[in-house]
Amino acid sequence: MTYRADVLIIGAGASGGVAARHLAEHGFDVVCLEQGDWPDRSAFPGTRPDWELAIRKDWAMSPNVRMRPEDYPVVHDDSDIEPLMYNAVGGSMIIYAGTWPRMLPSDFRIRTLDGVADDWPIAYRDLVPYYNAIDQQIGVSGLAGDPAYPPHDDYPLPPLPLGVAGRRVAEGHNQLGWHWWPEPNAILSAPYDGRRPCVQRGVCTSGCAEGAKASTDLTHWPKATAAGARLITGARVSRITLGSQGLATGAVWLDRSGVEHHQEADVVILAANAVGTARLLLLSADDRHCPDGLANSSGLVGRRLMMHPFSVVTGWWDDQVEGWQGHFGASITSYQFYETDPCRDFVRGAKWALSPVGGPLNHILPMRAGNEVWGSDHHVLMGQTFGRGASWAIFGEDLPEEANRVELDLDRTDSHGIPAPRVSYRISEHSRRLMAFQEERAEESLEASGCQETAVASMIPYSGWHLMGTARMGEKPANSVVNSRQQAHDVPNLYIADASVFVTSSGVNPTCTITALALRTADLLVQHRSEQKVPA
Amino acid sequence: MTAPASSASTGEIDIGRLIALADVMLPAAHGMPAVSDVEAVESYLPQVLGWRDDLREPLVRAVDALDPSSFTIDRLSALHEEDEDAYVALTTSVAACYYLSPVVRELIGYPGQVAKAYDPFAYTEWVAEGLLDPVVERGPIWREAPG
Repeated sequence: MTYRADVLIIGAGASGGVAARHLAEHGFDVVCLEQGDWPDRSAFPGTRPDWELAIRKDWAMSPNVRMRPEDYPVVHDDSDIEPLMYNAVGGSMIIYAGTWPRMLPSDFRIRTLDGVADDWPIAYRDLVPYYNAIDQQIGVSGLAGDPAYPPHDDYPLPPLPLGVAGRRVAEGHNQLGWHWWPEPNAILSAPYDGRRPCVQRGVCTSGCAEGAKASTDLTHWPKATAAGARLITGARVSRITLGSQGLATGAVWLDRSGVEHHQEADVVILAANAVGTARLLLLSADDRHCPDGLANSSGLVGRRLMMHPFSVVTGWWDDQVEGWQGHFGASITSYQFYETDPCRDFVRGAKWALSPVGGPLNHILPMRAGNEVWGSDHHVLMGQTFGRGASWAIFGEDLPEEANRVELDLDRTDSHGIPAPRVSYRISEHSRRLMAFQEERAEESLEASGCQETAVASMIPYSGWHLMGTARMGEKPANSVVNSRQQAHDVPNLYIADASVFVTSSGVNPTCTITALALRTADLLVQHRSEQKVPA
Repeated sequence: MTAPASSASTGEIDIGRLIALADVMLPAAHGMPAVSDVEAVESYLPQVLGWRDDLREPLVRAVDALDPSSFTIDRLSALHEEDEDAYVALTTSVAACYYLSPVVRELIGYPGQVAKAYDPFAYTEWVAEGLLDPVVERGPIWREAPG
């Protein structure tokens, strides 16, 4: 007899983990299919001498560089930014920085306020209870009272250390009269919920061996499985199946041996990131019901991809600040140039986050800011910069454009022969003006903080961590893919829990909002369970 | 997955040529030793290739392509143009070997990515000292939005 779950979740990362825990704890029979494995913290490279070698290959953020069996290639020949991700239980949280900013009230209303893009069908206040709940589940370290935000609940843990660099830049901003605040991080500053605190090793983006940085393999999946959720790893979904009533009936998946299975479910939740989810919806095209892809009557599946143009501005002092050390994550943040100022030649803005610079290889073979210098000048450069710097990591708001999109590439496939996603993306002239302004201000910030030298790495291609917008939320089926509950307009028992649903990108790191939205979607499913249409 | 710290054979790589090239890339200067002074290639290349076997083949190409007797730094950019993978393998391998040397690490003051203890409640001191006061005194900067 075929086993049919109440809910099938595709993807065990940030949104999948949050949704699975909430649903399982509220009595739903949950099955999750994840193409990756449980992460093995003993294999994380940050405590090993080969750390900086590993992050350039086996622990690269690009699946095209890692090329592990659980990865699928992402074709990006026609993209200004390379999409980055990690496939495992915990998803890309395994390699994210762990900064944990909420979106701001204005982020949900940029059509109304600034006359660009679209408003969200929900508002900041709709997410506040979920932001508060997620902060507690994750164990966020931070300090309440940031005047860049409306007042909200305090964080469960005190802020992580400012460090020498953070303190200097904070003082510099005080001189300039500019905003700064200790960054909220999903990284423990003290023991919490059975997990150990951060030890400031500075290797967050290649996996936190301490388990201090939150990822759902730590924060949600153990509780989800304890509540009865079933998590199947090494399970690559090839398509969502549709029944005669126009409802999803489950998904076809392949195990590592290539054997095909079908998992039936009353409700399907996609949680595979904005590239993977769009890919699956397009792969699920059906000549009879949905020839252009599942849930795609609007034609917007895969379109409006946003990835946040990203620049790094680094400053160097004339003395040691142990610039390789500290959470990564960010010590302090600035929203001084986040909101629209009509005096500028762009709308919206960017969030800044102050981060460490890395070890010696990152200085001389830079993946972010810096120069390669060989010969005797190499030693001069190292003497002047190594351990003496900090970087402003700057994410600019990325306005949605339909030409920026995910499609299927029929020529390139993953290890199971399933077509790879092809990403087409161009950084707009608007974004270029926005980022140029931010880069100049960031140099002023670091000069005011006492740095002797600064350097700008502008709009770095290897920076597509934030994948958003390929199945946007909206109230009208003609111009959106899901409604405000993240339920597909075309398929009422199909939900999308990841950042595909973002209407606009904001200018902040998205994981905090992804998880708050996933919790809200799961909570609304619980509340409306009796009304949910399911296959016969 | 990354292999543990095991050594690999450097068999097909001409180590003498590589050391000569590496000494041009990272010579003795400004108080720092040359690559050969700390025997970085001999000591650490097997480990580096043990961790990153993908570097081996392009490194062989790089060493074969560059003549140590006439090698200058300018030739590196030409290699970058001609064979990027070989360039990356050469620069990555030489730098990794050099900065694995305890002598070099000591000289640049780098202990590795080490764990550090801290007091999570130390923030109360800089809050009490008034570091955030100017930010708070300027008041809210977020923008009201309808809905």
